Amino acid sequence: MSPGVRLCGDDIVSAECEDTGTAQALADHLRESGDWLECVAGIASCVAQFDLATTGAEEAMQRMSTALRAAPAAREVEAAVVEVPVCYGGDHGPDLDDVCERLGLSREAFIELHTGREYGVDMLGFTPGFAFIGGFSEAQDVPRRSQPRVRLAAGSIGIAGGRTGIYTLPSPGGWQIVGRTPMQLFDTGAAQPFRLRAGMRVRFVAIGPDEFDAWCAE
Amino acid sequence: MRFTVLKPGLQTTVQAGPRTGLRHLGVPAAGAADPLSLALANRLVGNPLLAPGLETTLNGVALRFQGGGLVAITGARAKARLNGERVKLHRTLAVAAGDELEIGPARLGARNYLAVAGGIDVEEVLGSASTYLPAGFGGLQGRALRGGDVVATGPAVGTPEMLKTPKEFRPLASNSWALRACYGAEVDLLSKESRFDLFDTNFSVGFRADRMGLQLEGARFEVTSGGRLASAPVFPGTIQCPEDGTPFLLSIDAQTIGGYPRVAQVARADRHLIGQLRPGNHVRLLWRDAESARDELLAKHNYWGEWLPGIRAVI
Repeated sequence: MSPGVRLCGDDIVSAECEDTGTAQALADHLRESGDWLECVAGIASCVAQFDLATTGAEEAMQRMSTALRAAPAAREVEAAVVEVPVCYGGDHGPDLDDVCERLGLSREAFIELHTGREYGVDMLGFTPGFAFIGGFSEAQDVPRRSQPRVRLAAGSIGIAGGRTGIYTLPSPGGWQIVGRTPMQLFDTGAAQPFRLRAGMRVRFVAIGPDEFDAWCAE
Repeated sequence: MRFTVLKPGLQTTVQAGPRTGLRHLGVPAAGAADPLSLALANRLVGNPLLAPGLETTLNGVALRFQGGGLVAITGARAKARLNGERVKLHRTLAVAAGDELEIGPARLGARNYLAVAGGIDVEEVLGSASTYLPAGFGGLQGRALRGGDVVATGPAVGTPEMLKTPKEFRPLASNSWALRACYGAEVDLLSKESRFDLFDTNFSVGFRADRMGLQLEGARFEVTSGGRLASAPVFPGTIQCPEDGTPFLLSIDAQTIGGYPRVAQVARADRHLIGQLRPGNHVRLLWRDAESARDELLAKHNYWGEWLPGIRAVI
């Protein structure tokens, strides 16, 4: 059995991975095998659910260990950059001031920092199309809220643990909300229902409340 | 056949089997919160076990049929009336055009299931007919039923039969539940005392209780993640514990990724019970290792398989 492979339930196995890229590659590899019900990459782990009616825990752990050795080290990164408009602060970003205080930045400096680079989409999860976007190391020490909010608006942009997250749908959530995008990121009617995918690159673009409203009216 | 919704109830949705194999895209399972009860209802009207039916929440539903057909009600303990006359749960009921069927408030348990021969006729979205309310897709236009809605059912297949669920196959609802559970991935982040409390607390279900998850109140748990845990996959049945110390049990609409320590996982054998928990109910977690949890699942499949061939796809 490989170190880092363990059970986290009667029908769930987790494998620790070096980084998100490794976790994604392992999840893809497991999915292709057809042996698992669900294969989901986390930030630093890959977790798979197996059919307990046909497979015991020992066998599943063995399979995961074998896959860990066979899977490629990382997944390819895509070239296209998606621009995501964000209205920072105010009603759209109730935690912006707290986050700025924690980072010792003015609002303007925070927005400049957050919009001033390209990010990679680490994974989709939480709710349909929720994007975990890595590469905001300055906010490494920004924690989640100790009490999650009961309902966040669709498009809310949160910060936690060095990552940016986009709440595609109205949902409860514990990230510190700094802004909101009017862009629709999930649409079951579209040929490709998810606007963002793991491996894509993203850049945030600051917009004002008027532009936000105009975008929503379109 | 069609029916009109007279009283929609608190939250009545079309539910069938779960969405599977899409959690890596952030798509939750959805489907009947108590799939065993949906299967029992479908069994009585000759449908596939996970054919789309109606799931009510706490206070039932009232419908008027525009055509004749067979229906059946299962799930929470509740009174049902057909044209004002009491009818029993767990029986095939014949309805005619103009008949009014009412499921009253759930007295024990939280959800009732109504199956109609032929199933509810809705399109599948991402591989399932089940409603996922937070994203507004599946079921009837992705939403809960409203008064005045007209809902169509599919063509009934097979020979109509008047059945009743044998007594030994009727699940009992309760105010007090035991859920078998295994340790979760981050159980070590609980203090030693809290780890003990997890299987030694008489929890009560909090008011935040819906298809996404339920708060378990009763003890304040000490976790040491500091709010900086790497987000990791979660599943229906996962029990997470945020820093505020109140564990949260994820249900059938659970998100796919969570950022709080996963302290326990309700065993697959008992996940169907989560759908009947309601605010104020008592819950005990019973610790199991993976091997005995599997034996118990196989035993449950073996037991229910006698009345529900195909139970392995249900629970």
